[in-house]
Amino acid sequence: MICPRLRPKAPLRLLIILLTSLCSAPLLAATPVIELSIKDHLFYSAEIEIPANTKVKLFIRNLDPTAEEFESYELNREKVISGQSKTVIFIGPLPPGEYPFFGEFFPKTAQGKILVK
Amino acid sequence: MLINSVIFVLQETLEAALLISVLLAMNYQQKQSTRWLFVGFAAGLVFSFLYAFNMAEISEWFDYVGQEVTNATLQAAITVFIALYALSLNGHKTTVIDSSPSSNRLFFIAATVSVACAITVEGSEIFIYMSGFFQPTANLQTAIMGCSIGFATGVSIGVLLFYILRSLPSPALRATALFLLALFAGNMLSQAALQLTQADWIPSAQAVWDTSQWLSESSVSGRLLYALIGYEATPSLAQIISYLIGAASVLLFAQIKRHRETSTP
Repeated sequence: MICPRLRPKAPLRLLIILLTSLCSAPLLAATPVIELSIKDHLFYSAEIEIPANTKVKLFIRNLDPTAEEFESYELNREKVISGQSKTVIFIGPLPPGEYPFFGEFFPKTAQGKILVK
Repeated sequence: MLINSVIFVLQETLEAALLISVLLAMNYQQKQSTRWLFVGFAAGLVFSFLYAFNMAEISEWFDYVGQEVTNATLQAAITVFIALYALSLNGHKTTVIDSSPSSNRLFFIAATVSVACAITVEGSEIFIYMSGFFQPTANLQTAIMGCSIGFATGVSIGVLLFYILRSLPSPALRATALFLLALFAGNMLSQAALQLTQADWIPSAQAVWDTSQWLSESSVSGRLLYALIGYEATPSLAQIISYLIGAASVLLFAQIKRHRETSTP
């Protein structure tokens, strides 16, 4: 028998349920992962399609020996990616549209865009 | 290559140059020593080099978001130390001679740490960018020339702001510099929030407004305003709230100090 004093009160029980459901939420809806690579100062693929109003994880591999900076004014994202390394950038949820991105260190060649549909 | 280097380095230099020029102008009004500039600059250079050198490893921390977490920590530290700087400022009547030693110590620490953190964030990107010049395919001479022009332009804009501020009468100088520092602190906390959103530590939300049609962030004036007051065409609610908290804390701390001075006989 549980001692009545140790039994969690209603608001506390509600908080526990809320916290457990919040913690398990990511397990129920896993974030989609999109892979990108940088090679010879070019993005592969240069055009990516992602679903609207969904958070997406960009997994970027820089295969060049030089560093690059992923930058997009439209996505509000900026991140340095060292040479021969990999990294992660979370984007979205975004409304449908076209979101260009570029490599700030080599902007002439490193260009791409994300199509949100 | 040349124009890319000029724009990149100018952009990175501008933020730190503006902070230093406002602090120097305030220093002129406060009649304090400029030792913080040399210590902060030297520490910033060392830390930015170390950060750049270990960037690949740091980026892998916390499941590949180490860079965002480190930048956000440094940017939040800048906000905190600018607020502490505001708390250490002397009013119009007190000068450095009759201000307390603890207040002078806080002035030195706050100015040094905020400058060192600002240089670490921006300088590390310049170091990483420049590391690419030593590849066999790179045109080293052109790149170095571009970086030098970008750096010199950034410093010149800072010098210009310093002289504009210095030409103001003392109370106006103090008020304007404090206002610019509040905006800078707000900008830094807002950028920290953005970094944590990018890392998925803060839930991302859609932009509250979109002013990119009037003033694009990629335009020259957009970039200048970004460095000066943290202009963002599509800010999130987290960014707006953190901007306001950062800016308000600086003004509040300055007000607390002023209140303390007037209440003590």
